[in-house]
Amino acid sequence: MEEQTVTAASVITFCGLLEDGAAALYEELARRFPAYGEQATAFAKECRKSKLLVLRTYQETITDAIEAGYAFGGLRLGDPLFGVALDEGMSAAEALGQASALEAAAAAFYVDIADRSQALLATIPGAFRRAGRTHAQRLQRLESLPR
Amino acid sequence: MAILDEPIKGVATLQNYIDGSWEDSEGPLRDVVNPATLKTIARVPISTKSELRRAVEAAQAAYPDWRRTPPLARVRCLFRLKELLEQNFEELSRIQTMEHGKTIDESRGETRRGIEMVEVATGIPSLMMGQTLEDVSSGIDEYLIRQPLGVFGIIGPYNFPFMVPLWFAPFAVATGNTIVLKPSSEDPLSQIHIAELAEEAGIPAGVWNVVNGGREVVDGMLSDPDIKGICFVGSTPVGRDVIYKRCGETGKRVISQCGAKNFALVMPDADIPKTIATCMTSFFGNAGQRCLANSNLVVVGQGMSADEHEAFYQQIAEAFVASASKISMGYGLDESIQMGPLRDVEKKRRVMSYIEQAEREGGQLLLDGRTPKLMGDYPTDAFLGPTVFGKVSPDMAIAREEVFGPVAALMKATDMNEAIEMIHANPFGNAASIFTSNGKWARDFQYRVECGNIGVNIGLVAPMAFFPFSGMKDSFFGTLHGQGQEVIRFFTESKVVIQRWF
Repeated sequence: MEEQTVTAASVITFCGLLEDGAAALYEELARRFPAYGEQATAFAKECRKSKLLVLRTYQETITDAIEAGYAFGGLRLGDPLFGVALDEGMSAAEALGQASALEAAAAAFYVDIADRSQALLATIPGAFRRAGRTHAQRLQRLESLPR
Repeated sequence: MAILDEPIKGVATLQNYIDGSWEDSEGPLRDVVNPATLKTIARVPISTKSELRRAVEAAQAAYPDWRRTPPLARVRCLFRLKELLEQNFEELSRIQTMEHGKTIDESRGETRRGIEMVEVATGIPSLMMGQTLEDVSSGIDEYLIRQPLGVFGIIGPYNFPFMVPLWFAPFAVATGNTIVLKPSSEDPLSQIHIAELAEEAGIPAGVWNVVNGGREVVDGMLSDPDIKGICFVGSTPVGRDVIYKRCGETGKRVISQCGAKNFALVMPDADIPKTIATCMTSFFGNAGQRCLANSNLVVVGQGMSADEHEAFYQQIAEAFVASASKISMGYGLDESIQMGPLRDVEKKRRVMSYIEQAEREGGQLLLDGRTPKLMGDYPTDAFLGPTVFGKVSPDMAIAREEVFGPVAALMKATDMNEAIEMIHANPFGNAASIFTSNGKWARDFQYRVECGNIGVNIGLVAPMAFFPFSGMKDSFFGTLHGQGQEVIRFFTESKVVIQRWF
């Protein structure tokens, strides 16, 4: 299979899909398990904010002079991070477990792309780190929730 | 990867924007073709001289009121324009990809650079201030006022259809002048969209006019006595022999930014992986259609034996070719693409002729891009892959002339003196770069090289909006450059007042 090249544009699109996927998961979690509704709705809002942060940073700092097309050499963008619809009949504990897995993977992904984008303008890796931190903190909060 | 949604649907016939109205032209129509798909995406009129004249009259009529409009009120229009450009950021970027062929990352970068020009121009209330000195003699004060001049003509190139006219237009308007802008007839769509936004931003009728067209419009601008100055970006033969010469004859101010042949030196202490990564953007970004693109990579053997120098050259050549051969090509609206097509088939033919000539002249073809492999099913007519020649000598055509395509020439120089002599033997002087960890070498390079834009570990020396876009020798004709303080001086006359009250 042909190797897919990963450009800044494709990374940003991927981040958007990731955050949308995470937000959708929390919205579904809130709908199905009202006990966690308030918390999950707040998490969904955070995801949308992270999407905006990353997109805005990219659009505000990209110039025709940065190595946007070549900054992410070797990175592979799969799709498992946002294929996270909750299965029918899942318990609340299982749903929270799925959310935790997503958060852990997302936090690691952002750390990776922040490291890879050091050559770009500083605000780009900065935004990735900030988004990654949000995922990591959410993971902690998820794990502290009563099951 | 999925193709982003195309913002241009159907095939519209473009109009001119004159005196705040959108008007059909009487001139013949020319197709605007997306070079990646070869589909016609618009029809652009080749306007007549009389249509240009009406635009100049409208600009001339709008000038007195616009000049009297306080700078703060003028820049409020630009603040609104900036906001509208932000709101339309993605659509404007995709239009550029469709009309020109560049990748979506490149288009977004171009959009950002263009918006930055508007942002800097909004600082006009401070940037346009004059100077005052009290008591230059007993009881006498002297001050300098910067005043606008009237109507300016702006002639845009095809390689940066969105950004380059914005090197001038927002500064001209902010300083109180009015403009008549002719976009490249090859890719005029983004300028048409900007004019729509300028109208929406409330820039008064007649201040910002757009006339589509070709040579007749350019000729009309050059001969029109009401046009006080011309801003041009394009090839050296046109910029020097037509624009600069005619402006001299008719007493117009002129900024004529022209062709280039940019050298990049790799010194023995350069960070090779970072240098090569930077070179990919510099040599092959925008498919090499940039006046700031590096095209000659000179491997310098400063302090090395002949064998060491050859080994260093081989190391660089292998790394360069390995990276270049991985560049993905296709339609720029596919986000995984790193390089799009040339602007049109004719331009590809021209670049191909340079490749053939280099082969005849004995160049060592290390990477041949003539049979490009595309991501996606697109006609290859305008696509040309990265092409790399090794052991190129300075007298070969690909080392001397502006190829304006994705063709790299790898060369050797025994030391920095020889490399600088190569640069100086070339008639162009737009940009030059050095890759090194040695501050003294970098400083010597910056000090000695006769080029307008110097990069130290930077491959693409694109000055920011608040600095002038410099250029020397056959790369620039005029006195003051585009962007920054220089362009504000270009668009204003310095009036000196010496005042005494009895």
